[in-house]
Amino acid sequence: MNVFLHELKSYRKSTIIWSISMAALIIFFLSMYPSFSSSVSLVKKILEGYPEPIRKAFGISIDDITKFLGFYSYVFSFVVLGGAIQSMNYGISTISKEIKLKTADFLMTKPISRNEILTSKLLASLTSIVITDIIYLVTAYITAESVTKELFNIKLFFMVSVTLFFVEVIFMSIGVLISAVVGKIKSMISLSLGVVFTFYIIGMFQATLNDKAMKYITPFKYFDTEYIIKNSSYDITFVIISILIVLISIFLSYVFFLKRDIHVV
Amino acid sequence: MKIIEVNNLTKYYGKSRGIIDVSFDVEEGEVFGFIGPNGAGKSTTIRILLSLIYPTSGSAKIFGKDCIKYGPDIKKDIGYLPSEVFYYDNMKVIDLLKYSASFYKKDCSKRIKELSELMDLDLNKKIDDLSYGNRKKVGIVQGLLHEPKLLILDEPTSGLDPLMQQRFFNLLKEENKKGVTILFSSHILSEVQKLCDRVAIIKEGKIVSLEKISTLRENSYKKVYVEANAPLKSEYFNMDGVSDLQVKDRTVSFLFKGDINNITKKIAEISITDVTIEEPSLEEIFMHYYMRG
Repeated sequence: MNVFLHELKSYRKSTIIWSISMAALIIFFLSMYPSFSSSVSLVKKILEGYPEPIRKAFGISIDDITKFLGFYSYVFSFVVLGGAIQSMNYGISTISKEIKLKTADFLMTKPISRNEILTSKLLASLTSIVITDIIYLVTAYITAESVTKELFNIKLFFMVSVTLFFVEVIFMSIGVLISAVVGKIKSMISLSLGVVFTFYIIGMFQATLNDKAMKYITPFKYFDTEYIIKNSSYDITFVIISILIVLISIFLSYVFFLKRDIHVV
Repeated sequence: MKIIEVNNLTKYYGKSRGIIDVSFDVEEGEVFGFIGPNGAGKSTTIRILLSLIYPTSGSAKIFGKDCIKYGPDIKKDIGYLPSEVFYYDNMKVIDLLKYSASFYKKDCSKRIKELSELMDLDLNKKIDDLSYGNRKKVGIVQGLLHEPKLLILDEPTSGLDPLMQQRFFNLLKEENKKGVTILFSSHILSEVQKLCDRVAIIKEGKIVSLEKISTLRENSYKKVYVEANAPLKSEYFNMDGVSDLQVKDRTVSFLFKGDINNITKKIAEISITDVTIEEPSLEEIFMHYYMRG
């Protein structure tokens, strides 16, 4: 419990900053919706001016974007990108931070097993992410209610929004695995940005090429908002893939972390 | 009762050598010195004892329990001071000590106060703002606050000023009187001589000697350097116990082992301008004593 609380405290600042940024982002974008929806034909015309591949890469669908949920999904993709970076940071720092800051010697000579250490740290990261998501969700819902005059499907709104959490958990577990395998990472931020953007760009290519196989490579495409809105459900194949990725990554992280030599020098 | 039992520990880092076939025991209540130059394998051995790293082969027991299998259990009674002290920077000293204490199921606040007063440590400073020596003090308090039965110290004195070193040594002596066993690693022989009952000397990953300090002292060499008024005959100092004799015009240097009076008498018979008699460095001991075979 003490390690959990200590970790949570060490993430406090970052959790606050991410929560505020993501809330501000959604307020900013959603507040543009009223002017956007009042000039639908103009917006359509402007968007049609963009070449189709670009529209696809950025996930702009002209028919959908003029409806509230379509507009929201578009904006939401940037929120997911932010969330992915945040959770990747937490994941990678789980083990690497202790080794880089050489605090592993302190923590791991205490009467606590490596299992307990990793579990406490994972739960702390998860808690920070959940806190950020709750703040985001509440902000997004309140903003949505106040900017739209039309009725939108609240159930779908939430179904789309909680995929933020799913994607974050995937990225966090990949991050933990990387840190358990690599150990000491000199610049954790650049590595996590690199990994996240690589997946994001693969996602853009996937959308442009409409390549079905590529969809499996990037977690950004596992919870396709268009699919969710159309079918009112998640694509079960990708739900299973997500669960497998998370379970396998976390399991392997424990295996590697328990076996690894902790060098500080 | 044996507190530490090390049996044929070997550790390779990939292909490079860590330690090879290291064995020694530490008895209860003993102050055991572990000495050797940098990179000899002192820290490797200690890190295996603390299950920070895993041995390639061999095993080690602390309090009679395997130190990997029962790691978390035996660490309740171990205090560890690493050679380089790094702690979560964004914390105050007191917060770190409280965090450290929270791992042990006892109230350590009184002990924290005592120790930090003794070591002159300001509890309300941020660890970020501390000098190297002061961080070391945090390490000392952190290692002792839960009243461990075994202290493992990895080059503990570096960074401490002489006054603090003295206080720290007194503290260790006091702890030892209470029955605490101490494993003290260092590359400074004189430091180890002051405190320890027995020493293990490690070189290039192997234990080259395991001795009582008293025998080590009897066998100890002195490094002698004499500058005479007139040129000296080269055989003048050629006597029992002298080795590595070098004569160059008026200056003579050699290593001496035996009754120091023989040498002072010999020096007194000639007219000199300068003389130094000093402890040889650890390196020289290795060269002329342990590696003579």
